[in-house]
Amino acid sequence: MNLTQKRILILLIVILAGIVLGRLAVRALMNFLLGGTMFGGSLL
Amino acid sequence: MKKSGQNTQETDITRKKRKKGRLMWGFIYVLAFITAFCGSALFKMKYNPYGKEFTTEWNDSVGTVYTDLSYGDREANRFDLYVPAGRSRDSYGLIVYLHAGGFTSGDKSDDEQLLKWLCSKGYVTAGINYTLRTEDHPEASVYSQSVEIRESIPYVLAEAERLGYPIREMAVGGGSAGGCLALLYAYRDADSSPVPVRMVFEAVGPSSFYPEDWKCYGLDKNEEAARALFSVMAGKEITAGFGTPEYEKEIKDISALLWVDSDTVPTLMAYGKCDKVQPYEASLRLLKALEENGIPHDYYLGEHSGHGIQNDPDVYADYMRKTLEYLDTYMPVR
Repeated sequence: MNLTQKRILILLIVILAGIVLGRLAVRALMNFLLGGTMFGGSLL
Repeated sequence: MKKSGQNTQETDITRKKRKKGRLMWGFIYVLAFITAFCGSALFKMKYNPYGKEFTTEWNDSVGTVYTDLSYGDREANRFDLYVPAGRSRDSYGLIVYLHAGGFTSGDKSDDEQLLKWLCSKGYVTAGINYTLRTEDHPEASVYSQSVEIRESIPYVLAEAERLGYPIREMAVGGGSAGGCLALLYAYRDADSSPVPVRMVFEAVGPSSFYPEDWKCYGLDKNEEAARALFSVMAGKEITAGFGTPEYEKEIKDISALLWVDSDTVPTLMAYGKCDKVQPYEASLRLLKALEENGIPHDYYLGEHSGHGIQNDPDVYADYMRKTLEYLDTYMPVR
């Protein structure tokens, strides 16, 4: 695996982490205001 | 000596290039993370898990809306009436839906999509405002709001009749504060309703006021705070001791639970198990009372959700579908 491939792999991991954390942040905020669990129920 | 100097210069250039490359990629990573984070968060906030199932393409061929019709002298005494296209039937069923907002905010227009959707099924529908408890109206309470709703119904019926839609029966629904007021109308005021109340459907509305249930505000540990909050909601000073028959007598005007008997109308309800705004435990009391009195009912519970049933969209969708089933059963379009 050359350097460019490594960088693209890291980029994909960073994007995936951003997507997951973005959703979790909204869910955490809603749970803080309304109540709810962080996991379980709908993933979307 | 000359060759060695050239090599050192080349190494410096390579090092600088690598440093620049690392910086650029670091910047790309940060930018990609922020974009993905914000995009995902926005999508989560805007995404409608129900698609178009509970909305309708509203136009003149579906129905007409009459907004801000008056039912009293107070500023908030206004309602919106949605009537289906054509006046082909002798009589119609009315669905009143009361808005959410913690008794202090919200507006009938918040439920516009729902009211249009229900109207598209052949019902006359109405969204009714009530005087909210605000700085301008510190006298407003759950009780005064419930009385305003009671007073509004004859005006809604008269307006529907005037437009050529005579009402023969009605259902009432609401969300949160609106759910509480819907339950009160259906249980407490049904006997005096100008037309029969066939059913009630509501989500996350508080139906009883026992401090031990209201852990979400710590009222189970603070009797004084419980007395203060319940007094504000009841619109009168609650003086009796909690857990006594006198207390139930004092709170009965705003406690739908205490009006449940064998004549109570069929009830459809949805709650969130982790609700931080109103107590889930109170819904269990209501469920038990309906079971004990043999009242047809359905109870939907969002196991992972709070006040918005926000983490269990499947549960909420089932509740909405069941609402149509209830309407077909207890107030069918004829």
